[in-house]
Amino acid sequence: MQIAEQQSVKTACWSCGADVSGPLCAACGKVQPATEQDYFAVFSLPRRLSLDTKVLEREFYRLSRRLHPDLYARTSELEQQWSTEQTSLVNDAYRALKDPIARTEYLLKLEGMAIGEETTGKKQQPPADLLEEVFELNMQLEEMRMGGDDPQLRSDLENAKKQFEAQLAQADADLAALWAKWDGALAEGDLTAQMASKEEMLALLDRRRYVRNLVRDVNAALDGQSGDAPTP
Amino acid sequence: MAYSDKVIDHYNNPRNVGQLDKSSSEVGTGLVGAPECGDVMRLQIKVNPETQVIEEAKFKTFGCGSAIASSSLATEWVKGKTVSEAMEIKNTDIVKELALPPVKIHCSVLAEDAIRAAIGDWKKKNGVAEGAAAPQAVAAQ
Ligand code: FES
Ligand SMILES: [Zn+2]
Repeated sequence: MQIAEQQSVKTACWSCGADVSGPLCAACGKVQPATEQDYFAVFSLPRRLSLDTKVLEREFYRLSRRLHPDLYARTSELEQQWSTEQTSLVNDAYRALKDPIARTEYLLKLEGMAIGEETTGKKQQPPADLLEEVFELNMQLEEMRMGGDDPQLRSDLENAKKQFEAQLAQADADLAALWAKWDGALAEGDLTAQMASKEEMLALLDRRRYVRNLVRDVNAALDGQSGDAPTP
Repeated sequence: MAYSDKVIDHYNNPRNVGQLDKSSSEVGTGLVGAPECGDVMRLQIKVNPETQVIEEAKFKTFGCGSAIASSSLATEWVKGKTVSEAMEIKNTDIVKELALPPVKIHCSVLAEDAIRAAIGDWKKKNGVAEGAAAPQAVAAQ
């Protein structure tokens, strides 16, 4: 019961009065005013993390077609405006939900977790052993990069690349397991388990960012570029 | 978005890159990371046991230009300060000095965290309680 309320914010269609969720009324097909809908609601989806991106894509194209400006050339100005606003909402929602990492980050934000936000306050530092490991790996990578013509260099880098990519794949597998945990807790309305899985996902995403950088840097080194060119 | 001249200067000529002997009792090491971007920074200080003055500071940063500039500046600033003076350095001072834009504020926070972590490590090594001012007599061999 509680879940149903939590997931669908229903309003009445301005034209026919039917219940609507999403950009278009299912009963009469009229475009609805773009409200502060969350991205899952845009696609009438529950806040589940394991989602079929094929289905999402199909729904995205369907909505995009139905919201196409040509279809609104003869409607009221208000409906034209709504269709434009809904189009950009649908685009943002699709972009955020189709990518597994972006989807997870979006859900965590939606669920009230502070993530990737610019804060000046004290943040929790990642575990010391993780930092040590990442720092060490970066040092090794730098040494390899400076190796110049050392014939050993390339194979060292290739090995490092394999190692980092394996770590990244492991992080992704761990994340998928946490999705299942979240989805299950959501279905059961188990708030404690929901909170626990959110915190685990947050920590995992933090960890994943370091590994992702290592993969990026080792690839840059293999391409013969400097891995830490300044990016503002 | 462009880097300020000061950031570029520190980026091209970073001051005090390197490392100090981690095992020395006079050296404090701070290793910190910024989870929002995955950058890591190590900052080390060497403290005179008699005067509590930071005589040397070194850093090594794997991260963006602003993080490199922030840590480079931090090592310059802590040198010659006492440990308690160095604790007063705020990330907002770094933001101002380097004219960092809002999206780069966390890079300066990383440098402040690194200073504090290095001082914390030094205090722990020398048996100073966190927050306490100074060790009385740290036996110098
Ligand atoms: S971008 Fe993260 S430290 Fe600069
Ligand atoms: Zn309707």
